[in-house]
Amino acid sequence: MKENAIAIEKLSFNYGHLRVINDISLETPGGVSFGLLGSNGAGKTTLIRLMVGLLKPASGSVLCLGKPPSPANARNIGYMPQLPSLYNELTVEQNIDFFARIYGMRDREKRSRRVSDVIKLIDLWPRRKEQVMKLSGGMKQRVSLGCAIVHQPPLLFLDEPTVGLDPELRVHFWEHFESLTRAGSTLIISSHTMDDAAHCQQLVFMREGKIIARGAPAELRAATGQPDATLEDAFLYFIRRGEVKANV
Amino acid sequence: MYNMFTIAQRTINQLIHDQRTIALILIVPLVIASLIGVSLPSKDILNLTLPAILAMLILFFGFLLSGIAFLRERSQGTRERLMASPVSRLDILVGYLLGFLLFAMVQTLILFFYSVYVLKVAFHGELWQIIVFQILIGILAVCLGIFISAFARNEFQMVQFIPLIIVPQVFVCGLLFPVEQMPDYLQWIAKLLPLTYGVEGIRALMLQGKGLLDIGKDIGVLAAYATGLMVLAGISLRRGNAT
Repeated sequence: MKENAIAIEKLSFNYGHLRVINDISLETPGGVSFGLLGSNGAGKTTLIRLMVGLLKPASGSVLCLGKPPSPANARNIGYMPQLPSLYNELTVEQNIDFFARIYGMRDREKRSRRVSDVIKLIDLWPRRKEQVMKLSGGMKQRVSLGCAIVHQPPLLFLDEPTVGLDPELRVHFWEHFESLTRAGSTLIISSHTMDDAAHCQQLVFMREGKIIARGAPAELRAATGQPDATLEDAFLYFIRRGEVKANV
Repeated sequence: MYNMFTIAQRTINQLIHDQRTIALILIVPLVIASLIGVSLPSKDILNLTLPAILAMLILFFGFLLSGIAFLRERSQGTRERLMASPVSRLDILVGYLLGFLLFAMVQTLILFFYSVYVLKVAFHGELWQIIVFQILIGILAVCLGIFISAFARNEFQMVQFIPLIIVPQVFVCGLLFPVEQMPDYLQWIAKLLPLTYGVEGIRALMLQGKGLLDIGKDIGVLAAYATGLMVLAGISLRRGNAT
């Protein structure tokens, strides 16, 4: 059995007086795509930021690949934030090369080859010398993904990676994500669309900073008791079940 | 070291791609020096004013450029991305310092040569000592910009810090009026602000033929300010502090 990529124990976080992550415990096996699903404000982005060490928990602990998040452990982690988060004045190539360098790819020749491969993978080779500010939103998303995967991390956090992408590009992204998990990487993907959720091997449904359900998509659908239930039905089922419990 | 140079190189690349900013960095000091050169009534006043402008401009541009660049890092999300990477706070700080100091030195050299060879400002010192002294003010300015940018949420707010942080220093540093002729309380305020020591030091280096060893007090105060601000800037970059 593969060791856990993420181990979270009794994690809580507050923004001021507002509790946005509420006593979450979670373990994810390595080498799978793990979806965090929930509506806006459910706490998905905050949970990812806690996992990569950008926020300090109010209580509880996070382990990524067996270690707490720190600069020393960050080399094994890739992070694609919700916003493209790129240097707009720099070219596509310069952005990806910069992140390759700070993630420890020092050999110039190997790095150059890898950067070229990534640019081809995100399908921007003809525009590699163009400043990022001149690209469309979808293209920026692709560059952002390129920056996150260039150092081939075993653990990758993708915060709403498919937002704003056209359907063709979305399929292209998911094909790549699946190839990464086949190669042994663990992907933690936040999303609020059921289309993304259907691609994940494991899912967590989140609401108001809590986990309301977890399992494989088929298990979550089966839990509704309806043979033809979709993931959307399953999500609504767990929300309503939570509301009923809260009212009892 | 590798990460520091990588960040410095990226900072330089970013500025080089922003050609309008580069043009302003290079032309504005010449415009200011020319205006001062044609408007001041006597050579003596010009000799006192332009060295002070050298110190003032490096503080001003270092503060503004690093502050806005850092703010942009935050608003574009690149700071968050950088903080999730293996780089340390020291890598980020020194990387920024190296990048911005290159432009600050180019600006210093342009203004220096223009002042000495075109406007014929008196010069009895050594250029390398002026560069070392300007680097010290530059370090202070960049750290001040990074630290203050933590209190601004957008570029407009960052610009509002200029009248609060820079302008009072310009008024009391001795650039406009001799510090000794100011009321006592203003003299005390002047003694608390770093630009006063920057102006005093650079005048001594350029006009009085003094060396760096002769202006130990000015260097000491500026170094203390630079160190303090570097610590504060480092604290503002703490991991787990991303907003």
